[in-house]
Amino acid sequence: MGCLHLLPSRGVFIAMLLPDHSYVKAKSLEECLKTLRETGEKAKVVAGGTDVIFNMRLKLFQPEVAVSIRGLKDLQQVDELDDGSVRIGAACRLADLIDHPLAGGRYPAFKQSLEAVASTHIRNMGTLGGNICLETRCWYTNNSDQWREGLQGCYKTDSELCHVIKSSSKCHAINNSDSPPALIALGAMLTLQKEGATREVPIAEFYRADGVNFSVLEPGELVTHVTIPPVSDRQVFIKITPRKGMDFSLGAVAARCDGQGEQISNITIVLGSLVTAPVVLDKPAQVVLEAGLTDDAIEKAADLVRDELGEVSNLYGRSIYKRQIAIVLVKRALVQLREL
Amino acid sequence: MARKTEIGTPDRSRRRPKFDGELGSREKIDLDVIGKRQPRLDGPEKVSGRSVFADDVQLPGMLCGKILRSRYAHARILGIDTSRAEALPGVKAVITATDAGEIDVNGREPVFASDVVTYIGEEIAAVAALDELTAEKALDLIEIEYEELPAVMSMRRALKEGAPLVDGKTEGNVWSDDIDNYGEVEPAFEAADYIFEEKYEAGVTHNLFAEFHVAVVDFSLPDKLTLYTPTQTSYLMQHALAPAFGLTLSQVQIIHLNTGGAFSGRGSVRPHHYIAILLSRETRRPVKIFATGDEEFLVCRALGENKYKMRMAMKKDGTITAFDMEAEMDGGAVGTEVGYFGWMAGLCNSWVFPLEGLRMRRRCVLTNNRPNFLGHGGLMLSTNAAIMQLINTVAKKIDRDPMDIMYQNAIEEGHTGLSGEWFASCGLRECIETVRKASDWDNRYGKLEPYHGLGIGIGSMAAGAKGAFRHDTSAVMVRVSEDGIVTVYTGIPDMGQGTHTTMAVIVAEVLGIDPNDMKVVAGDTDLTPIDVGAFAQRGTIQTGNAARNAALDAREQLTVYAAGKLEVDKDDLVFRGGKVYAQSAPDKLMNFKDLVYKTLHGKEGRSVMGRGFYNSPLQFGTTSWSFGAQIAEVKVDPDTGEVQVLKVWVAHDLGRAINPLACEGQIDGQVYSAMSQILYEEVQTDAGLYLNPSRLEYKVPRSYEMPEIDYYLIETIDPFGPFGAKEIGEGIIVVSGGAIAAAVSDALGGEFIGEMPMAPWRVLKHIKRAQRQEAAGRTAA
Repeated sequence: MGCLHLLPSRGVFIAMLLPDHSYVKAKSLEECLKTLRETGEKAKVVAGGTDVIFNMRLKLFQPEVAVSIRGLKDLQQVDELDDGSVRIGAACRLADLIDHPLAGGRYPAFKQSLEAVASTHIRNMGTLGGNICLETRCWYTNNSDQWREGLQGCYKTDSELCHVIKSSSKCHAINNSDSPPALIALGAMLTLQKEGATREVPIAEFYRADGVNFSVLEPGELVTHVTIPPVSDRQVFIKITPRKGMDFSLGAVAARCDGQGEQISNITIVLGSLVTAPVVLDKPAQVVLEAGLTDDAIEKAADLVRDELGEVSNLYGRSIYKRQIAIVLVKRALVQLREL
Repeated sequence: MARKTEIGTPDRSRRRPKFDGELGSREKIDLDVIGKRQPRLDGPEKVSGRSVFADDVQLPGMLCGKILRSRYAHARILGIDTSRAEALPGVKAVITATDAGEIDVNGREPVFASDVVTYIGEEIAAVAALDELTAEKALDLIEIEYEELPAVMSMRRALKEGAPLVDGKTEGNVWSDDIDNYGEVEPAFEAADYIFEEKYEAGVTHNLFAEFHVAVVDFSLPDKLTLYTPTQTSYLMQHALAPAFGLTLSQVQIIHLNTGGAFSGRGSVRPHHYIAILLSRETRRPVKIFATGDEEFLVCRALGENKYKMRMAMKKDGTITAFDMEAEMDGGAVGTEVGYFGWMAGLCNSWVFPLEGLRMRRRCVLTNNRPNFLGHGGLMLSTNAAIMQLINTVAKKIDRDPMDIMYQNAIEEGHTGLSGEWFASCGLRECIETVRKASDWDNRYGKLEPYHGLGIGIGSMAAGAKGAFRHDTSAVMVRVSEDGIVTVYTGIPDMGQGTHTTMAVIVAEVLGIDPNDMKVVAGDTDLTPIDVGAFAQRGTIQTGNAARNAALDAREQLTVYAAGKLEVDKDDLVFRGGKVYAQSAPDKLMNFKDLVYKTLHGKEGRSVMGRGFYNSPLQFGTTSWSFGAQIAEVKVDPDTGEVQVLKVWVAHDLGRAINPLACEGQIDGQVYSAMSQILYEEVQTDAGLYLNPSRLEYKVPRSYEMPEIDYYLIETIDPFGPFGAKEIGEGIIVVSGGAIAAAVSDALGGEFIGEMPMAPWRVLKHIKRAQRQEAAGRTAA
């Protein structure tokens, strides 16, 4: 039988020891993609490092190679394309995007989602690509390795077990990231590149309902750009947290629509931070699309949220409470949309 | 070891301090320094990161110590194999229970578990190595074979018949079962017009000090033990460690430097202190042990789960006549005095209400949880939150204004309490009137929008509580340097409350100098005189009186030269504003600095060094109590259950505000902490394992959540306190807790919320239930 010493070096005062790894600072995208192909699953891409480095210290990631994309200027550009879309490099820092006229300045819901991320310090370091690829979280995996040893492993580490929903056949860690719901509502596309291949994937199809393999990103592949189409200003993002700032969401919602007043011609409603992937709410959207953003329709739409959400884990909050939060978020988002 | 006691009404006369003066004197002495807003003397050092804490200490040849802890809540240790760890290059020592021998922690718990572990995180072995990485690797190499035993993780399970015994011997897992019976309880209930009953449960917390648990030890020579560690009391540590290691008191030097927060959690020695000492003794090198993230949550001895049942007897006219309370406290795996402190939690009700009777049963139950102790506000925070909420809610039921109930029941100066306490100064009614007016209560209470509430809390806190030891002495030395700079030597730790500056201000007042011309030397038992420590709100009153006495002694020495030079009687001398002059002839004066210089450089060469001590004149108990009233205004989000504290009006009878700036700081900190504990803080556990052992997941509010605060410092000039000062240590937090809890309950229409913390999901549960009941009511109608 093994032993446990509950001694993570998690304190800020003492060096939390990083696992042994080599560090490659890519000088060009080509070089980066080549390194990623060669190293495959042994590599982790580091941009701002706010999530990856922390998880490495928790020994959740023990990559042999950390590939830094901080030097890639191509991925730090924000450009307007001919069709009016905005193309944002994945290595742009969150703080820079908030006030960028083409990013936060043009897409209010996107701006709100970025402002909601953690704290000033983290927004100053963290990048958009990192926020999109944020590791899914749960109370088991987000503790140190020594702490985790006190329990059996899990799907994310080395066992066929989920501590959050014990009978489950998959990992229930949640997508706790703020920008994805907003980007899905805005209809953003992601550019994924690997050596010799580039593909465009709608961000709505990027996430998978599995906490371990939570995205369609393949080994050796990198999110390089986010392209947001020109959309109307009727968009909103709301996040509920236990305290203001420096916190992950208990639940978040993003919504966007076209049309005037209660009459809308197109709507996307997305919930985040509740389950393993952001949830696009089809039926509630259908209700308000048909009936308009009336009080009755909003109530009816909110009633349908529960069914769309499926199983909500008892993670960072009681599941019954989180379902209630989800309903509240959808109602508030729709009411706000009506007023825009 | 289980203890059962029943305490009856004691002889009241024993508790009354000797006092010849006249009560009710509000005449203010004309003070020069006291009452001015004095920034902390160590402020610039603190805010610029220059203050030295125990973890900053680097000693030559120092090793890194790490502790191997139990992964099971209850298990038998079948074998420990340390051979592979010992063989690892860089490892200097591996120790287990065998190496601790007869030494235990304060006679209460073993340093290392030897055959049975009783909670997750219990110490089993430790290593000292050249660096942290090696120490961690060595821990991995220690093999332990366990046999898991059935564990009891809740008081409910522990009290069930046939439950496994946590320590193998304490019958029924009841560590202590005490009943306090003061006055006439049953007759009061029989004569009552109303009897109100409620239950209240408070969850597990962590003190969340800024500075983690750390011990740096040098015991490389057999006759000198030096320990650098944050503490509330170097005195008690010295007294625990010296006999344990066969040393005299003076051979043990405790250096507590700056203590980064304590909140009732650093009042004693802990296993990691002993382990660091044993490792240092073994290796003959200094050793540092530093608790890291998760470990910090395991080793902290904070509040466990506490459950209360309470009954309150009331007359038709709103007079509260008696309380009958029962408390069950989760002591965790090691029996502690937490049951003892329940005594104060019950009794504090009789400090604000002139009760006829008070009964409190307090049972400390053993479980396989982390050993528990106290948190900020002790048990009084939760009991006061319960009682104040109860009074606010029952006032609605009997159609009365809770403010009137509080006022009509509030005790007044000269009252003698149920256990013989004599309240020589009491501004409780003044406090109530102040916040009532300031908050415009009469025009606002009961007239706010739904989910918007006001609550009133009142409370009292003992300033110092003699009883645990024969004496409650603090001593202070005052050195007057030849350049006129005055240094105060004190053993009281400053863990953020600003007590060092308080002492400087008191001495500066006596010597008539600027507090900025002062230094404070503290936190080293080799340098500073005896001081029992910073707990039980004793700092200002005990050490403050000692500082005053020491300063008077120094002044007396200075008058010798001054009286001769100015040719006046020495009793006629006034020390003020950096000058010394005659009261009768103010033009006869000299500078304080000149006086000091001439005193030393005269033919006699008098060096001035004042000494003073203070010990409460009582055999047992307290001489002075602070009183307070607070009103909290909150808003509840009916959709999410989130509570926002908008404003808190604080009126506190602290006797005298020595340093109003520091008093406001104390109010800020305590209102914050009360809000945090009432609304946010909760350690979540699963079978004894902490699920949120980090500062990210253990939720406490940030400065954004701080409400606006109005401060009213009510000065009643206590006859026993230095210049009339009592306390502003924990007197605020217990009242804030009551006011905030009552305001939330008011916002929800007066429903009693029997759970702490009032987390959003709990509040929402209450809102939904009320909405369902209302809907059902409408349907029925």
